[in-house]
Amino acid sequence: MPVIKVNNKDVHIQELNKGAAETVLLIHGMFSNLSVYYFNIAPVLALHFHVVMYDLKSHGMSERTLEGYDLNSMTDDLYALMEVLNLDKVHLAGYSFGGLIALKMAVRFPEKLRKLVLIEAPDPNDDKTRGIIEEYSREFLEHYVANFTDTTKAKMGKRQMDRNHRMYEYLFYQTSIKKDMIQESDFFNAPEINTMKKDTLLLYGSASNCLEAGRQLHKKISRSDLIPLDGDHNIPIQEPVMIAELVSGFFKN
Amino acid sequence: MDTIATTQKLNNDEIFDLMKQFITEVIGEEFVEEMDITPKSSFTKDLEMDSIEIVSFSEKIKTHFGEQIDFTGWLSAMDLDQLINLNLEMIINYIQECQSSK
Repeated sequence: MPVIKVNNKDVHIQELNKGAAETVLLIHGMFSNLSVYYFNIAPVLALHFHVVMYDLKSHGMSERTLEGYDLNSMTDDLYALMEVLNLDKVHLAGYSFGGLIALKMAVRFPEKLRKLVLIEAPDPNDDKTRGIIEEYSREFLEHYVANFTDTTKAKMGKRQMDRNHRMYEYLFYQTSIKKDMIQESDFFNAPEINTMKKDTLLLYGSASNCLEAGRQLHKKISRSDLIPLDGDHNIPIQEPVMIAELVSGFFKN
Repeated sequence: MDTIATTQKLNNDEIFDLMKQFITEVIGEEFVEEMDITPKSSFTKDLEMDSIEIVSFSEKIKTHFGEQIDFTGWLSAMDLDQLINLNLEMIINYIQECQSSK
């Protein structure tokens, strides 16, 4: 299990096909981890690319950290990770909150990026996105698992529920994540998004609450394509093969 | 990543013991003690392992068997239902197939 030090913090990474000429870096979403890519999406991308996945701070098997969940800090972390791994320029894909980190990266460090894929990146100003951040409780988690994860088919057992509950509690009540995310409410109005020139693929679930965010980004990013796929916010789990092939084709072309 | 590939062929019982050892390392002895791990145990339902734990487990398999098997490639051919129903026996059979084709 590769755990490396980045800015003195333990970061869990996974790499496939290290010898390939170009690198694809994958960012997972909030309360998730790199396993969202590991089983299906990353192996398809690794047929052509060096693939790097990492667990965000306090997620998966990366070290817990009390502060720095705003998009500046998250992209500072990613920049530092690229330095440690000697990655000069990468194709970047991010899912959900990871999509916001990817977009911020394109805005702040365009020289470090080839192409950009945003999967289900939400508008941080959306009530539903904020609602999840502001109102966590064990009941919320149980309700969320009962009502939303059925689309991913994976049911949580007690030990998994306890583990997840501990992570949510830590993130919600001990770290600065709530405060940091509320600060990002206006992110989609940043003028730099309108002037960003990266080739961008926007992948959204046609039944997702976030599809409107995809439409907004499509309007703002001049060199973007928006592809709605069958599914909701969980499309990487519902349609992993299709996502992997679309992303791979986009990066190769 | 360094691989400590073993060249020795293992029988079913030896592979099963190795899997149990890896599962114990991933989820901890206190949870394993309460479980009856058999070749039919599924990772998600019976062992209640979540996806990041299955990643750790997979990495242990890959490190142990190295070039002998393409574990990530094998997993990637599975859809979500197959991954959820994945049990120890399926992995044992896959490793046996790889060993016998060498």
